[in-house]
Amino acid sequence: MAKITVDGNEIEVEEGRTILQALDDSGLLMNGIDIPHYCWHPKLAVDGSCRLCQVEVEGIPKLQIACDTQVKDGMVVTTANERVRRAREGVMELLLVNHPLDCPICDQAGECKLQDYAYEYGVDASRTREPRRALKKRVDLGPTIVFDQERCILCRRCVRFCREIPKTGELAVFNRGDHSVIDTFPGEELNNDYSMNVADICPVGALTTKDFRFKIRVWFLEDVPGICTGCSTGCNVHLGVANNKVYRYVPRRNDEVNETWICDKGRMSYREIGSADRLDRCSVRNHEGRFESTSLDAAVEASAARLAKLVESKGAGVIAGIASAHATTEDLFVFRRFLAALGSETSGVAVVRGDSDDILVREEKAPNAAGARAIGFADAKGVVDRINSGGVDAVVMLGHDALNESLLGGADALRGLDTVVVLDTHASELQHVAHVMFPVRHAAEKHGLLVNAEGRAQRVEPAVEPAWEAYSDGEVLAKIGAALGLEGFDGRFDVHEVSRELARSNLAFSGIDLDTVGAAGQPLATVVADSPATGGEPR
Amino acid sequence: MLQCPYVTSYLTEHFANDEFGTLEGYERFGGYTAARKALTEMSPADLIELVQTSGLQGRGGAGFSMGMKWSFMPKDSDRPKYLVCNADESEPGSFKDRIMLERGAHQMLEGILIAAWATGASMTFIYIRGEYSHPADCVERAVAEAYAKGYLGDNVMGTGFSHDVRVTRGAGAYICGEETGLLESLEGKKGQPRKKPPFPAQYGAFGMPTTVNNVETYSHVPHIVNNGIDWFRAFGTDKSPGTTVFGVSGHVARPGLYELPLGTPLAEIVFEHAGGVPGGRKVKGVIPGGMSMPILPAGQLDVPMANEFLRERKTMLGTGGIMVMDETTCMVRVASVISYFFRDESCGQCTQCREGTGWMNKIVDRIERGAGEQSDLDVLLDVAGKMEASTICAFADAAAWPIQGLLRHFSEDFAAHIGARKCPFPESFEL
Repeated sequence: MAKITVDGNEIEVEEGRTILQALDDSGLLMNGIDIPHYCWHPKLAVDGSCRLCQVEVEGIPKLQIACDTQVKDGMVVTTANERVRRAREGVMELLLVNHPLDCPICDQAGECKLQDYAYEYGVDASRTREPRRALKKRVDLGPTIVFDQERCILCRRCVRFCREIPKTGELAVFNRGDHSVIDTFPGEELNNDYSMNVADICPVGALTTKDFRFKIRVWFLEDVPGICTGCSTGCNVHLGVANNKVYRYVPRRNDEVNETWICDKGRMSYREIGSADRLDRCSVRNHEGRFESTSLDAAVEASAARLAKLVESKGAGVIAGIASAHATTEDLFVFRRFLAALGSETSGVAVVRGDSDDILVREEKAPNAAGARAIGFADAKGVVDRINSGGVDAVVMLGHDALNESLLGGADALRGLDTVVVLDTHASELQHVAHVMFPVRHAAEKHGLLVNAEGRAQRVEPAVEPAWEAYSDGEVLAKIGAALGLEGFDGRFDVHEVSRELARSNLAFSGIDLDTVGAAGQPLATVVADSPATGGEPR
Repeated sequence: MLQCPYVTSYLTEHFANDEFGTLEGYERFGGYTAARKALTEMSPADLIELVQTSGLQGRGGAGFSMGMKWSFMPKDSDRPKYLVCNADESEPGSFKDRIMLERGAHQMLEGILIAAWATGASMTFIYIRGEYSHPADCVERAVAEAYAKGYLGDNVMGTGFSHDVRVTRGAGAYICGEETGLLESLEGKKGQPRKKPPFPAQYGAFGMPTTVNNVETYSHVPHIVNNGIDWFRAFGTDKSPGTTVFGVSGHVARPGLYELPLGTPLAEIVFEHAGGVPGGRKVKGVIPGGMSMPILPAGQLDVPMANEFLRERKTMLGTGGIMVMDETTCMVRVASVISYFFRDESCGQCTQCREGTGWMNKIVDRIERGAGEQSDLDVLLDVAGKMEASTICAFADAAAWPIQGLLRHFSEDFAAHIGARKCPFPESFEL
C-alpha cells in the first residue's frame, strides 16, 4: 500500500494504481476531489490523450496527467491551483475550437461532459474567429447508433470499448490531426451485443442511440435505480422516467455485477414495462367458456371456490404451483407459503434458457431464478412431467415462462385441467386455457428483492405506477389464501413485513432486509446459486 | 542521385567512391575492423562506457547521449532485445541520412553490429521512410552482402554472437520519425506515439526492450571504436564532440551537404561553405536544424552550431538541416507553410496538438490573406504556449517553437500584414 496526499486528503491506495484510479477506488473522484477527464474511463485502458486531467505532482516540474501517473508512497498531488486551472482552461478552449456548439438541438444537452466542464473549467468567451470544422452530422454506424462527427472530441472511449469489452473492434480513428474522424471500416457496421454502451460512455452528443434519440430532453427524466430483468445477471440500471413512463435504461455502475455496462437486449427490455400487451384487468371464464373482466374480489372469490372444490373432492395433492423467476423474492415467498398451507405437493420454478456470453449475458432469462431456488422452488420440469402424466387437476401459475419449448411447449398442455389460475404481467397463450387471470406488476412497479445468479440480493422499487389494474403477486395470493381460510393468511400483504419474515425463516436470507439492502445489493448469507452462469465467482 | 557532400570528414570521406558502397570496397577502406575489434576484444560494458565517455549525441534531433541510451537496456533479460535504426528522416530541411544510406550503408551496419553487441540485441529493424526507395535498395543490398559474408546472421565473424537485420519501409508520415510512433508503425499499426513510461528500453518494438538510434549516430560508432575517445573529442566542442553532416538548403549558392565539426559557426557554413545568398541579396533568417527548430535572424548567425550555444538563442541543432531565407522572404508565409505542415502531420491523439496546430494555421493564413488583427498575435503566442510540454510526444512543441521563433524575431512582418491588410511581399509561391 502507498499513502498519497491529494489536496490535503491522505489516501491509502494499492501500489501500482494511477492517481485517477486511486481517487476512484476511494470514492473521492468527482465527489470531493474533482479532476475533470474525458478519455479516461474506469473500466477501459488508459489512453492519456485528452490531457484534461493534468495535476501538479510535487517534485515533478511538468504537470502530469492523473490518469497515467502511478502513485508512489508519499506522493503529494495538487488538483486545484492556478497552474492546473489554467491548463484545464487551455484544454477546454482547444476542445471547443471546432465544436459546433449546437447544444439546443443536441440530445446530450443536460448530461454532456463538454457542457458541464465548459461551465466549470472553461472561459466564457470564445477567441476563435475561424470557421469550424464541417463534418457529417448523421452517420448511421449500424442498427443501434447514430454518429455526429462534428460533436466528437476524439476521446476514443468508444474505440477502446469495442476493442476491449465485446472485443469486436468495429470502430477506429481514421485520418490524422484535426482531420481525424471516428468511423467503422469500409463496408462494416457497429453491430455487437453491447453496441449501445458507446452512447453511454461518449462524453458528448456524438454517439446517440437510435432508440432514445430525440424522445425526450434528459432534464425531464428522473433516474430511478432498478434492475434489468432480461437475465439472471441482474445488471444495475437507472430507469429514465417521465410522465409515468420509462424512456430508457442506462447502466448503473456496480463493480460487483455489471461494472458500467449492459447488453443491448437487456437495455431494450425496458419496453416491456409499458407495452401494449400488458394484462390490464382481472378476468374470469364464465359458464359459456368466455373470458370476461371482473373485479379483483370476484376473481379472488372464483379462484378460491374452484380450488376449495378440488381440495374437497380430490385433495390438495392434485394442485400444482409453477413459480416465475420474474417475480420478486417476497412474492415467491408468499407463493411458497400459500402452496404449503394449501397442501400442494407439486411445485417448481419455470425459467426460460437462452444464449449466454462471457461478458454479462447469462443463460437463465429471468432476474430471480436464484431467489426462487433459495426459497425452495425446484426446477419446473417435475411439475410439467406430472401434468403430462395426468396427475394434476389444477395449476396456479405465476407468469408464462412455463409455456417454453423445454417445459410445457404451449398452452395446450393445460387444456384438460379443471382449474388454471394465472398471475401474469403480459398477455400470452394462457388466455385460451386459464380460468382466472390476474394482472400483476412488473419489477419496475413494485418494491422487492431479486437475487442474481451470483447470489446477490438486489432491490427494486416502483419507478412508475401502472395506469391500469395491477397487483403484486403476493397481494393476490394473500387474498386467495384468506378466501380459502388458509393458516397464516389474513388477506394482507406488506412487502416489508414479508421480507423480514423471510429473513427470519430462511437461513440464506438471514440479515437481508428489503429496507436496508444498499444500492449495490447484498450477497445472500449462504450461496445458493446453482448457476449455469459464466464469469465471476459467487461472492 | 543526391550529390556527395562538398566538405567531408571521417564519416563521408569516401562517399564519392562507388566502391565504398560495396562490402569489398568498404573493407578495403578499413571497414568492419571496428566491429571485429568490438566483438572479439571488448565487453558490452566496455563499449557502453566507451560510447558514453566519447560524448556522442544522437544526430536525429533530440541530441540525447547514445551511450546513456544503451545503458538503459536491461542487462539480464530473458526476453529478446531489439535495436531500431531510425531512417525515417522526415524533418523538412533534412537530407543527410539519405546520403548515409545510399553511400555509407556498410558504415551504418557496422555501427549497428557494434551497438547490438553492446546492448545484447538479437535483431535490428531498419525503418526507412517509404519515399526513400533508392536508399532502401542500397541498404538491402548491403544487408544481403553482410549476411553472405557472415557479418550478420548466426555466429557473426565466428564469435558465436548472432544478430539479424530486417529492413522495413514506412508509409510516409512525419510522426513515424518519433521513436514510439515509429515502433507502432513498425508493428503494422497506425503511427501514433505511445505514452511514456514505459520507455522503449522496457517496452519497445513488439513489447521487447528496444533502443532506437538515428542512421548517422550509428555511423559514428565504428570510428570511435577504431580511433578512441581522444581522437573523437578532438572534433567539435567539449560538450558536443564529433562532426555532423549539415544539410544546407534555401537561398544559398551551393545547397548541399557539409560534414563539419559541431560548433562550426552558422555564418561560416552559410557564407563560406554554402557560398552565401546569390544575387547580392541579404540573408533575412536561418532555420538551424530542420523545420521544427526556431529561426535565427541575420544578426545571430555568429552562433556556433552546437546545442549548448544554440539553446542560448532559444533554438536547437535538431537534425542539422539548415534552411536559409533571404530578404525577399515573407515570414508570415513561412509561418503559414510551417503551421500547415504540422497541422497536416499531427497524429491527432492529444487535444492541444490536434486542435492547436489547426487553429494556429488558420490564424496565420488569415494574417497572410490580410484579414489579421493585432490581437491575433497574442492568441497565436498563447495557443503555442498551451501546446508546449503538455502532450504525449514532442510534436506539439515542435509545432509551437517555429511559430514562437518567427513571432520573436520577425514581428514586424506580421505587423506589416495587419497594417496593410495584405501581404506586402511579392507573390513568390502559391500557398
